[in-house]
Amino acid sequence: MKLYIVTDSTADIPKELASELDIHVVPLKVHIDDATYLDGVTLTTAQFYEKLEKADRLPRTSQPSPIDFVDMYEALAAKGEDAQIISIHLSSALSGTYQTANLAKDMVQDKIKVHVIDSRTASYALGSIVVAVARAARERNNLQQCLDLAQRLIANHAAFFVMDTLMYLQKGGRIGKASAVLGSLLNVKPILTFDETGEVAAVEKVRGKKKAVGRMLDLAKEFAGSAPVVAAVVHATSHEEAEALKARIAEELNVIQDMVVTELGPVIGTYGGPGLLAVTLYKV
Amino acid sequence: MRNRTLTGQVLRQMYKMGAERLTQHVKKVDALNVFPVPDGDTGTNMNLTFTSGVAELEKLAEQTAEKVASVFSRGLLMGARGNSGVILSQLFRGFAKGLADSVEADSHKLADAFQQGVEMAYKAVMKPVEGTILTVAREAAAAARKAARSGLIEDVVERLVEAAQKALDNTPNQLSVLKEVGVVDSGGQGLVYIYEGFLKAVKDGIVFAEPEEAKPAVAGGMSLFGETHDEMHHVINPADIKYGYCTEFMVHVRPDAVFTQDEFQERISAYGDSLLVVSDEDLVKVHIHAEEPGEVLSLAQQYGALDRIKIENMRLQHEEVLRRQKTRQALKSPSETPTVSAERSQVTEAVRGEPDFDIPQPENAKKPYAIIAVASGQGIADIFKSLGVDRIIEGGQTMNPSTEQFVSAIEEENAERVLILPNNKNIVMAAQQAAELVDVPTAVIPSKSVPQGMSSLLAFSADEPLEQNRDRMSEALALVKTGLVTYAVRDTTLNELIIKEGDFIGIFDGDVVTSGQDAYETAKALISRMVDEDDGLITVIYGADVKESAMNELEKQLRASFDSYEVEVHDGGQPLYSFIIAVE
Repeated sequence: MKLYIVTDSTADIPKELASELDIHVVPLKVHIDDATYLDGVTLTTAQFYEKLEKADRLPRTSQPSPIDFVDMYEALAAKGEDAQIISIHLSSALSGTYQTANLAKDMVQDKIKVHVIDSRTASYALGSIVVAVARAARERNNLQQCLDLAQRLIANHAAFFVMDTLMYLQKGGRIGKASAVLGSLLNVKPILTFDETGEVAAVEKVRGKKKAVGRMLDLAKEFAGSAPVVAAVVHATSHEEAEALKARIAEELNVIQDMVVTELGPVIGTYGGPGLLAVTLYKV
Repeated sequence: MRNRTLTGQVLRQMYKMGAERLTQHVKKVDALNVFPVPDGDTGTNMNLTFTSGVAELEKLAEQTAEKVASVFSRGLLMGARGNSGVILSQLFRGFAKGLADSVEADSHKLADAFQQGVEMAYKAVMKPVEGTILTVAREAAAAARKAARSGLIEDVVERLVEAAQKALDNTPNQLSVLKEVGVVDSGGQGLVYIYEGFLKAVKDGIVFAEPEEAKPAVAGGMSLFGETHDEMHHVINPADIKYGYCTEFMVHVRPDAVFTQDEFQERISAYGDSLLVVSDEDLVKVHIHAEEPGEVLSLAQQYGALDRIKIENMRLQHEEVLRRQKTRQALKSPSETPTVSAERSQVTEAVRGEPDFDIPQPENAKKPYAIIAVASGQGIADIFKSLGVDRIIEGGQTMNPSTEQFVSAIEEENAERVLILPNNKNIVMAAQQAAELVDVPTAVIPSKSVPQGMSSLLAFSADEPLEQNRDRMSEALALVKTGLVTYAVRDTTLNELIIKEGDFIGIFDGDVVTSGQDAYETAKALISRMVDEDDGLITVIYGADVKESAMNELEKQLRASFDSYEVEVHDGGQPLYSFIIAVE
């Protein structure tokens, strides 16, 4: 029995890592002005932010169609080793991707068994869970253990993020509870997270990015306590700030693995905008 | 007056003369403000507080010591402004408590009443400081206690004044900042003036004669009753006037008319209040506030011919006074709104779909929370509203908002829970007093500045209960540093700075740290003193006296000098403070 791990492009897993761990990624679609791209395939993250700046209208994204999943699942089934698939995806509260994967699962049920999981999170918070499960699959190839691990990590991880601006989130219609800070004349930055249902929620309101990043670090520390954690930093066009944040996390938390620094892909980047900084972590 | 008892009538006179003496010396007390800033003056606040008590007394006909004291105290409680005003209201609240159940008071009771005032005032202050009005009140009351042994009212009050003055003179030895500036404590001085007025009342005796000792009051000037009459007209708000016509006249009592003062007074008193009747042989002088002066005159005519009739419409008079006051106090119109960055305006545009007016709520629909904040300046009011404040109370220029203003605001908001941000350390106590007077659960966040108010608003969460919000919002106060730039109202030396009247001074979290002749340079110097490496954001809110073009230039300079910090600039439109600066 062979276990395959599938996710979608919103997981923001660095290409080399995905390749090394044999993680299969189904791309979402990005529509900028009149062109449509496949996230991570025909459009790189760097290209996306360049176009974002110049675009006349805010880019739109759409989930993969069922056939994209079916193609992926069938391709893996065709490899012929009595395979099963664990397919972990972007929060169902943020996208229909998870629903679509479920649909596809039914469509291929004669060919291969697929276990579809709603991560209730996004970006590398999702990605880090996928990476952990992929590693476990490699080492022990035990379906149940992998499923359990996935659920445990989903329940025990945290993600905190700060945006430079709420403009993109608001324009994209995904502002949710963060809307409480809109209209503030003082450029208030909320520190956001995903709640248990997978929706964006505001944790705190802060003024000033430096302060916001500091508070984000405090929140991460509160979450971790003294427990060993696997942590990562996500950013949008802010490489230096991300590296600085990585250094601070390594200093102040009990981090047991090399930290991944990855850039926020177009799907979430469209709502987060350039300048976003995030910390994701789970307790080991 | 060698009296052994204090009647309610004399007590009333004491309060009035105390108020008069304080009113005469308001400017002197204001000038004792340690900080040479044009803000929140003790004299003005104490005066307005005390005269609220006198105004409340106007509505009372009763003459028992208990009633006079308690009604006066009620007026003080609601009219209390500024910390000094609130402490004053607590002093006389305790005093009134000491006179409960007393138609009259003997020397011991009177002395004890002063002592109870002291105890109540100390209880009201979180951290009582010696060398302030509290010390003066305490030492005065102690001396009064000792003097009560003689049994004479005058001795009690005389010793009260002596000890108060002595304690006042000693305040520079208790508070070093008083010594440094070379003044006595302003609140203590205000109290001394009040006590001096008390002494005058007790020594001079009753102005209004008892029926047996009728003596016509001085008939001079505008009113038949001279000085006393003016004191009765301290009502501040035309809407408070129930009996609108100040009516005075004399009656030449006919020889065949049956006239007794008591009976006459009783008949006339049915028509209004503020009644004064003085009779001497066949001449009766009358003063009354009535709504139907004609009826009063007709009644009086039954006793004889009328003379020297004067009727004034008090509502119109007071409206005129208020109109003149308003014109004097009018703020300059707010400066032009600076150009907002395109991004910000896009976001705010998206949100401003809501109408500008308040949709009236059905009677019983209480909103879960109301946040009330004190602010001066349209821009600051806008900032607070954008952060979630429901109602702004105008901060005032030299006088601070009264307890009553807070009470009205709380009740008008019609919410289940209320949070108040006073944003000025001289307003905190009045807000707290109001919170205690209302039924609605209300918490006062002790914010001492606009930046503190802003910081605490960010910690508010509508989903949490009142106590949690109070705690988190109060914790947030410490997260920001406040800087103020204003001008000095007099020459002074503080913290080794030699400051001349008109110089600009920079105040950092309550301490004067820098001064200079240019507001912009002072602002820059102040910011330099405020920032440290843990800070990331400097916010400058500029006042009504700052021109936009100069502000743009300052903003450029700030961004250049403080390039490792974010800099935000906002138009506050506030009076008195050229710059309000937040560093966090």
